[in-house]
Amino acid sequence: MSGILHYLVPLPVVLPLLSAGVQFAFRGRVALVQRSISIATLSAVLLTGLVLMVGTDTYGPQAVHVGGWTAPIGIALVADRLSALMVTVSSAITLAVMVYSIGQGMADKNEAAPVAVYHPTYLILTAGISDAFLAGDLFNMYVGFEILLTASYVLLTLGGTQARIRAGATYVVVSLLSSLIFLITVGLAYAATGTVNLAQMSVRLAGVPDELRPVLQVMLLTAFAIKAAMFPLSAWLPDSYPIAPAPITAVFAGLLTKVGVYAIIRTQTLLFPGDTVNDLLMWAALATMLMGILGAIAQTDIKRLLSFTLVSHIGYMVFGIALGSVHGMAGAVFYVAHHITVQTTLFLVTGLIERRGGSTSLPDLGGLAKLSPVLGILFFLPAMNLAGIPPLSGFLGKLGLMQAGVQQGTPLAYLLVAGSVLTSLLTLYAIAKTWNYAFWRAPAAGAVAAPGTVLETSEDTAPTSAFGPISQAVGPSSRVRSSANRSATFGGNPIVTSETLPPSMLAATIALVAMGVAFTVLAGPLIEYSAQTAAEIMAQTPYIDSVFPGGVA
Amino acid sequence: MVPAATTAWALSQAPGVVAGSPARLHIPWAREFHLVLAFRMDVLGLVMTLIAAGIGTLILIYCARYFTDAEPGLGRFAGVLTAFAGSMMGLVLADDLIQLYIYWELTTVFSYLLIGHYTERRDSRRAAMTALTVTTLGGLAMLTGAVMLGESAGSYLISDLLADPPSGPLVSTALVLILAGALSKSAITPFSLWLPAAMQAPTPVSGYLHAAAMVKAGVYLIARLAPAFNDVAVWQYTTLALGTVTMVAAGWTALRQNDLKLLLAYGTVSQLGFLTALLGAGTRDAALAGLAMLCAHAVFKAPLFLVVGIIDHSTGTRDLRELSGLRTSMPVVFWTSVLAAASMAGLPPMAGFAAKEAAFGALVHAGGPLYTAALAGVVLGSVFTVGYSLRFLWGAFFTKPEVPTTPVHTPDALFVAPAVVLAALGTIGGPLAAAVDPVLAEYADTVAFNAGNDPAHLALWHGLNLPLVLSLLCVLGGLGLFGARSAVAWAGNRFEFTDPHTIYRRALSGVNTFAIQVTGSTQRGSLPLYLGTILISLLAVSAAMIVRGPIWGIDLPPVRIWDSPLQLIPAAVIVVAALWALLVRSRLFAVVLVGVTGYGTATLFLLHGGPDLALTQFLVETVSLVAFVLVLRRLPARFSTPVLRTRRLANLVIGAATGLLVATMAYVALAGRQTEAISHGMPAAAEEAGGHNIISVILVDLRAWDTMGEISVLAVAGAGVASLMFVRRRALPTRLRLRASREQSAVLLPTTPVPSAAPADSAQAPWRPSALQFAPRQLSVQARWNPIWLTGALTLSAERRSIVFEVIARLLFPVIIVLSLFLLVTGHSQVGGGFAGGIVAGLGLMVRYLAGGRYELYAASPVTPGVLIGLGLATATATAVAGAVIGTEVLQAGTWDLHLPLMEPVHLSSTLLFDFGVYLLVIGLILDILRSLGARIDEQLEEHPKTGRTDQAEEATA
Repeated sequence: MSGILHYLVPLPVVLPLLSAGVQFAFRGRVALVQRSISIATLSAVLLTGLVLMVGTDTYGPQAVHVGGWTAPIGIALVADRLSALMVTVSSAITLAVMVYSIGQGMADKNEAAPVAVYHPTYLILTAGISDAFLAGDLFNMYVGFEILLTASYVLLTLGGTQARIRAGATYVVVSLLSSLIFLITVGLAYAATGTVNLAQMSVRLAGVPDELRPVLQVMLLTAFAIKAAMFPLSAWLPDSYPIAPAPITAVFAGLLTKVGVYAIIRTQTLLFPGDTVNDLLMWAALATMLMGILGAIAQTDIKRLLSFTLVSHIGYMVFGIALGSVHGMAGAVFYVAHHITVQTTLFLVTGLIERRGGSTSLPDLGGLAKLSPVLGILFFLPAMNLAGIPPLSGFLGKLGLMQAGVQQGTPLAYLLVAGSVLTSLLTLYAIAKTWNYAFWRAPAAGAVAAPGTVLETSEDTAPTSAFGPISQAVGPSSRVRSSANRSATFGGNPIVTSETLPPSMLAATIALVAMGVAFTVLAGPLIEYSAQTAAEIMAQTPYIDSVFPGGVA
Repeated sequence: MVPAATTAWALSQAPGVVAGSPARLHIPWAREFHLVLAFRMDVLGLVMTLIAAGIGTLILIYCARYFTDAEPGLGRFAGVLTAFAGSMMGLVLADDLIQLYIYWELTTVFSYLLIGHYTERRDSRRAAMTALTVTTLGGLAMLTGAVMLGESAGSYLISDLLADPPSGPLVSTALVLILAGALSKSAITPFSLWLPAAMQAPTPVSGYLHAAAMVKAGVYLIARLAPAFNDVAVWQYTTLALGTVTMVAAGWTALRQNDLKLLLAYGTVSQLGFLTALLGAGTRDAALAGLAMLCAHAVFKAPLFLVVGIIDHSTGTRDLRELSGLRTSMPVVFWTSVLAAASMAGLPPMAGFAAKEAAFGALVHAGGPLYTAALAGVVLGSVFTVGYSLRFLWGAFFTKPEVPTTPVHTPDALFVAPAVVLAALGTIGGPLAAAVDPVLAEYADTVAFNAGNDPAHLALWHGLNLPLVLSLLCVLGGLGLFGARSAVAWAGNRFEFTDPHTIYRRALSGVNTFAIQVTGSTQRGSLPLYLGTILISLLAVSAAMIVRGPIWGIDLPPVRIWDSPLQLIPAAVIVVAALWALLVRSRLFAVVLVGVTGYGTATLFLLHGGPDLALTQFLVETVSLVAFVLVLRRLPARFSTPVLRTRRLANLVIGAATGLLVATMAYVALAGRQTEAISHGMPAAAEEAGGHNIISVILVDLRAWDTMGEISVLAVAGAGVASLMFVRRRALPTRLRLRASREQSAVLLPTTPVPSAAPADSAQAPWRPSALQFAPRQLSVQARWNPIWLTGALTLSAERRSIVFEVIARLLFPVIIVLSLFLLVTGHSQVGGGFAGGIVAGLGLMVRYLAGGRYELYAASPVTPGVLIGLGLATATATAVAGAVIGTEVLQAGTWDLHLPLMEPVHLSSTLLFDFGVYLLVIGLILDILRSLGARIDEQLEEHPKTGRTDQAEEATA
């Protein structure tokens, strides 16, 4: 068994890259082949992730020295419980979103160019995400980030409407800055320790002067905090994510921020143990939770609203990390897995809402519970999950975090507990407001578009190239016209509303809703797994020993 | 039928429970978070179960007649109502604080759905929202309290807490938080606003949730925890004070309601206050009275709600100013109401009377100023209760002279039956009080403290004592209030309390406004602002840590200015170019200056002894420069006008500070190194790998995994650029054109007439693309058949063509390709490698494009860039997989010695194959850039010459 594991570790990266290469080479010849390759690859990765989860749980962390070059000369890939969990959850999400997007592509009859780029780019995105999770090498983690970011730039601007390119500019530039900070810090860390291997660096950093180490720590933290969208470094997110087509927004919202959170967890526990920045993280977590949810309350567009709840709930995970206890970390790990799923699901449902109701703007919606009861259930369950209604997983995660906070018992921890409770309440308020508007109002009150309506796009329907007319900067974004978020197909074609939802879009969404519910049903083993994960990463030694079985040079 | 089964089950368990052996069930769920499915049914649980399930059964029967089958959403309604009943069961049986909270919150959510049943009514939606937010607010406070309590006690099991209550200031805080939850659920002041609003719900919902079941949850929680915490001062004071105040205030409000349902709602709030005060009072007798009152209330309030529903259903109104004469037209309903109202008013021989007697007795005997004050409040509240009970009966049934008799259609027998059953229960409850007493006492005895009195018992007749006198007083007072009802209504309106709804709505709009303002101020939509925020944050946290260290405490070695003075020259060039780039206003010039910094860096690499790095850097700079210039054709020539001077200054400071930070840290970090870098082991590793060029070995072997990642970045970047430029029509037209050319090249060879390149030929006529654009067949011309060096160049206008350039490009191209292959193959031991080789080949293509225009580019590459990119990526990754299949690790290198006749054995390594993949991919990328940023923009410029700033484009490419 453990022999097989060894071969499985690199697969979540290599397989999607190989398939992407094949897809590029035979671009768009037969759509069916392309789809089959994508789905088969992602299913294989999911399977790999599951086996890795079981395997690392049984046999401990698995290190692979790529090319047979042992670390630190070569690159090590390490799958421990945390990475295996992240790979599994992320591949389940990417698979579901792929199925959804295939359904959407077929529904929109978008067989033309951008879609041909879509499949391989999407696979490369998943490869990058997996690489970031599996990297046992700080520089390779940077490479993983680069892969996923570059792919995300392409996906965000697919279809090339003006709104997307403008939003894409914000996203690209901010991401580049974050990458730059990351890269500089990798360089500095190499300068200080003479290595980029995480396990070795972990040992060597302990010898680095105490005056120097915290500076490296906060610089690295800043780079990841941008990716994870921690306040005040989060403003880019609600301005860029909602503009993309629904499935892309879904996967970005669910996964990309969590890669940042993962990186924070990994580096803070492995490289910089101790409580140097815990208070700082606590305050950041509080600010993220509250500012995020206030932002959500101020929105009238579901996509933007969800983007703000995304920012807000990142605060919970940071809270768990900042507590610095095994219990808190367990809560954070569980919350990450939960939040990836539920946030993705909600964005997918929003895509369906747009398809049925013709808009994602609350004033334009109404009566959906009556028009489409399925949609009602599909929205209600994950929405309540997000708001932390028991016994759903959002509640369980928050419960763990609150317990950890109370165990800590410091005034700051109590403040955070209070903040998290308040955020929970306000999330529920925001969700209930959405529900009241979009689902309960009389259909007439919201003037839902009739089935068959071709949605107006926010601008010219003609494809715009990267260089549209130079227009004024985007105004204060809380007041961006809701119509700017419309027209969410890949090719930039207008969406046509319909009474029946495309079956594969519906099936993918249902699968994710079920996965969210499964977090509750399987809460026992999952929470146990999270707690063991937390204990493992906070102990550091299992990870280091797996890379250097004979001790660190 | 679920509630009915539950009732039966609960009754079957009853003997055991009453005998003192509670039924329990424990299923572990998640140990780490102290999650356990723990249930336990003792007497309190039994009583609550019977109330919730029994009344639930009757309500469902009632629903069958209340709704017509055509009612929209009936199935959903029935499902939610049953689910609610289930959660209610869980709530009263849970033996774990977390479990309890789970069911607690579930009842909240289901009640939200039930209250909002008439979804299209705005008031209904609002009421649902109010109930949700208010009770969740309390619920979350309770959860916090429960976590604090559980963590300090070390167990979340209620039975553990009761057995061994923790104490301390933390516990008191926790209890206050839990009380907040209980009070909000039971609609006690200051949380009482949601209950009257929730009367928007269908009447069965009100009868069940807001009389029998859900609102009792808070009271239940108080009763549940009272045995452990009755002696905590804050617990006692809070419950007694808020309970009494609520009872009086809500009773007073009930007295002047005209809507029968609202009257009952305020009456319920008032009674809940009463229950809270009794159960929180902390004496054994009060607990007994409280539990008795709880039962009595369930069986008198529910039938009254049902009656209102019947009246509403039969007459179409529930405004008591419009109802008249129902006493004669609905006699059964009337007498049912009389019984229930008598119990509510506390008249003998009803259950309500027995309970109220016990309550008065408990408060009288407890003594002390606190209890006396509470007694006074409770008596006043009871006076109001009698008053509004009379108002209800009078308003609903009696004939009012000024109102015409209300027309009625007679209700179905099954419709009325549930109310009759409940009212009858309330009636026999009084005489049976003595029989029920030992059961209820089972719970009451768990409250140890009894102020030194002998335990009291429930009975209808205790003899002539103070409680009886008080009861009499209540009845008389109530009659008086009823007699003076118009005066009461006037006084009520005159001395109105602040409407809690106004406060709620103001708070809500306050939150909304605050949210909009805060978001508006942080979410400016300005990219420069976001970048500034990020950099300032970086500077702030780094500076804090630098000062905290302080970092200047480290032993810093002296600065070594240079290795050789020669380095100074490129360094100076870089610095000057970088600073200059900040000042120039022309985009093109800025790009060139940035390029200069790149070339400078490359020179530094060279001086440091890294020819590979230098070569690669030079090549990359060149390609970037060309790409930039191609793009610049579509951008304004100069940067836009500068922003405000202050903003510019701030940006300058931020930028300078960031630069300073990075520079300082680079120096200090190196100074802080304690151990040798791993790079010292690399030469040996490279030898082992069979290569002499360390850089190349690192790229394709030691850290090939990084390379594999980076080439996928390149692949995606190429795809991205292409997808932006060819928005919806990427492959199709291009491929068609190419295919056409390929097919026809076999047929039409040299005879194709060459069009005169610039047909108009006249200087004044604007240049147009030649006919070639529309006649792809002409592309099939092959150069060697023709005295034309670059066929594609035919499409260019005469003034753009340069024969010299074309000739050079034509001659140079094969040389460049050979050079690139040479770099590829020798990379392992000499300067070069797949990346450098690929760029060189790409430069060859670039030269042909620049000399011959886009059709030349199409002619130069038989395959599309996508194919090259894809093949490259597939080759590299397949090599990686092969390493694992053949060897043991991904990307493991394998070598073969190829023996060819007449030649030295050729040493082949799989890394070469990997490098070949890189090579292909890089060529593909450059081809892609040329097609997108070059050829596609050419097309755009030709389609829209005016917007395209063609002049500058010519200048740039020349």
